Amino acid sequence: MRGDGRSRRVAVVPDAYLNPAVGVADRLAALAEAGWGVMALPQPGLPSDLEGAMLAGLADQLATLLDDGYEVALAAPDDPISRRLNDLLGADGRRIRDTVTP
Amino acid sequence: MRIARTVGDDPAVVVCYLAHCLLNANAKVDEGARCAGVSLPVLSLLRAHGATIRQMPCPELGFGGTRRFWAVREQYDTPAYRAHCRRLAEPVAAQVRADLAAGARVVIIGIDGSPSMGVELTAADDSWGGRPDKPRDEDYPVTPGAGLFTETLLGLLGEDVQAVRAVGIGQDLFDYDEERELAKLGRTVAGEGDPDAR
Repeated sequence: MRGDGRSRRVAVVPDAYLNPAVGVADRLAALAEAGWGVMALPQPGLPSDLEGAMLAGLADQLATLLDDGYEVALAAPDDPISRRLNDLLGADGRRIRDTVTP
Repeated sequence: MRIARTVGDDPAVVVCYLAHCLLNANAKVDEGARCAGVSLPVLSLLRAHGATIRQMPCPELGFGGTRRFWAVREQYDTPAYRAHCRRLAEPVAAQVRADLAAGARVVIIGIDGSPSMGVELTAADDSWGGRPDKPRDEDYPVTPGAGLFTETLLGLLGEDVQAVRAVGIGQDLFDYDEERELAKLGRTVAGEGDPDAR
């Protein structure tokens, strides 16, 4: 038994956090060092049906975190895919209101 | 920290599909998390290899929530859970195919010992059920085989599965040895023993 080590803090991040360009600050590592878990948005440029299926799965997972009182924040609230995710959550009365900057 | 790849120069060479909890330990069951959020040793290893990172969904989080008990394959193995896994795995399989078509080498990184995300080892026991009185550690029934999500994803890939490497990191094992598991992961990501690795 190890006790509950979960931070209960989750940042929703764009693909650029997972796959930053060479020479760019590693914002994923910064979030990791601060104890955040992350949930990655689909990468830009996917076919809309594929992106929609991925966002639907993401919304299901986020709903349980939001309903259980986990701190959930958007790393890039103005990102169009972040907005589409929030619209999807909003259809069920949920919304990610917080933002996080590493 | 700034990105300075040290092993691979081209991020498209290897695309790693990570089990969700390697980047978000909040998806684990209570007492199952080995870190607060992101597994930094795994992230550092993948950064060092210049890997493109994709995060797979956590089928158990969306299905059983954050308050679920730990479980074995038999407890999850229902038509509804298999359909749930399939719904989540289909977009992943489509992405894997696209990455392969683009010339990438694809590595799927699961969690050995997991009833859902295991690759070489899962957890299975016909006797589990009812009162949740099983201690996690000594009696956790680790068994050879894949977890339900991994099995579903690999099945969806059809013949393309031959072009994919799958490896499990044993974070759900009682005797988890991080150094050993990272070494195994590093060899796989580097394409050791893979004739197609560039």
